[in-house]
Amino acid sequence: MEDQDKARTSENQLEEENVVTFLDSMDAYLTLIDSLSSTLRQGWLELASARHSMGASRISSSLFDLKLHSAATSLRVTEDDGKYVMNQPHFTLCKWASSDDGKCCSGEAKFDGDELQKKSVSPQLRYRGTSQFDEPQEIQEKSPTSNGSPLSLDSPVQKQRHKSLSVFGTLVSPKLRAAQFSFETALETIVEIANIRSSMLSAFDQVQKDIESISTGEQ
Amino acid sequence: MYGFEAMTFNIHGGYLEAIVRGHRSGLLTAADYNNLCQCETLDDIKMHLSATEYGPYLQNEPSPLHTTTIVEKCTLKLVDEYKHMLCQATEPLSTFLEYITYGHMIDNVVLIVTGTLHERDVQELLEKCHPLGMFDSIATLAVAQNMRELYRLVLVDTPLAPYFSERITSEDLDDMNIEIMRNTLYKAYLEDFYQFCQKLGGATSEIMSDLLAFEADRRAVNITINSIGTELTRDDRKKLYSNFGLLYPYGHEELAVCEDIDQVRAVMEKYPPYQSIFAKMSYGESQMLDKAFYEEEVKRLCLAFEQQFHYGVFFAYMRLREQEIRNLMWISECVAQNQKSRVHDSVVFIF
Repeated sequence: MEDQDKARTSENQLEEENVVTFLDSMDAYLTLIDSLSSTLRQGWLELASARHSMGASRISSSLFDLKLHSAATSLRVTEDDGKYVMNQPHFTLCKWASSDDGKCCSGEAKFDGDELQKKSVSPQLRYRGTSQFDEPQEIQEKSPTSNGSPLSLDSPVQKQRHKSLSVFGTLVSPKLRAAQFSFETALETIVEIANIRSSMLSAFDQVQKDIESISTGEQ
Repeated sequence: MYGFEAMTFNIHGGYLEAIVRGHRSGLLTAADYNNLCQCETLDDIKMHLSATEYGPYLQNEPSPLHTTTIVEKCTLKLVDEYKHMLCQATEPLSTFLEYITYGHMIDNVVLIVTGTLHERDVQELLEKCHPLGMFDSIATLAVAQNMRELYRLVLVDTPLAPYFSERITSEDLDDMNIEIMRNTLYKAYLEDFYQFCQKLGGATSEIMSDLLAFEADRRAVNITINSIGTELTRDDRKKLYSNFGLLYPYGHEELAVCEDIDQVRAVMEKYPPYQSIFAKMSYGESQMLDKAFYEEEVKRLCLAFEQQFHYGVFFAYMRLREQEIRNLMWISECVAQNQKSRVHDSVVFIF
């Protein structure tokens, strides 16, 4: 009898953990969506600011390079053994790959969904309405061009960044570089969103199974 | 001491000076900008502009509007006014008015060459060119494979021909060389324009020297800031600075070795006219520098109208209209992106 009670208790605990995991991943997902929205708004405004500074003829879609060239950034999709679901997709961004050897210059921006869930376990308020005012400043502080000091990144990354901007000319405004950085950050956030969404869906599937098993047990 | 322009200027230039002063009174005021900044949509902007001189140019544009459409139509108004003044002008005013457009001509040449290098369609590129910088053989630029052909096939018959040197024509067409070509041409154009105004003498020389010197100094600062962290060497950077202006030659020596924005600030703060510009910015920040320079430029351009019987009013009017179009572009972008809180980041009031 005691053993049955213990088993039931541990099952209940596991079910509760699954629900908490799902809610945490959903919270992280919504936070990332907010962050992406404000990053993209910042990026588009910086792009408009660069056009205002450099002139509409210097920053225009008609200058995009149509020649065949290798992608500066690529996405790798692997199938991971997730906590709940086998073969859960995992997305990894390979930024600023060198065109010579195809290796990433900045290393892989691998997102660990567990880390983000650990961060979101501790109770903290999530501001949804004011994030667009908070985060752009944060992004500006992170922007390498706003303070004019040399970047602390590897020089191959810097070279790849300049190369991708060279379609608009070699001497471009710091505002255009800031816009590039914002869109780069947005791309990383999108990959994080994809990974957290994958975790969230697998957690949801597990919660669904728990509900079904409970309702089957009750019957 | 000026010459006796008051006695002879009105014979050939009186009508056009009156015309340009009339156009100046049509520039948007602070009240107009306040109304525009409160618009919720681009159609609201069109409605407010319908009560201004831009009304006839925008009235037939269908909804939904795009920010580039507003800019294009406002630019058309400027082009029409310019063409009217050019066809009425006699020498040397007609040459002076043509000089004003050479900057746009350089931008158009670089746009066509860069776009062709990127395998873009020539017609698409021609649509993006500034109308003030168009010339007859501009489409032929797409045929050139290197700088020498560029010069020999097309540019030799244009006003930009004297600005090409052997140093430019011996280079291949790649991104860095195109950028150097752009800045070298612009440097030569500014210096030529400066010399032309000096030859005109009188009030024109006095006023245009100040305006062109400011333009040269601003270019030097922008080239310095934009080249930080790039492959452009210090020597190449220094070669792109104009050979006149307040910063010439000692300021250029110091700017050529700057590695970050704070060093640029340290150089510029030694010159009193630019102290106030950099005083508006916090340390390590360069985002508001463009607006600060535009505000200073507008101040100087407005002062040009305080004097009569000189050609500086034509240059000042063209530049003030271009600033107004930039303002409208920025307001439109902020409204379209629902970022009205940032609209005053880049709007420069003229009056």
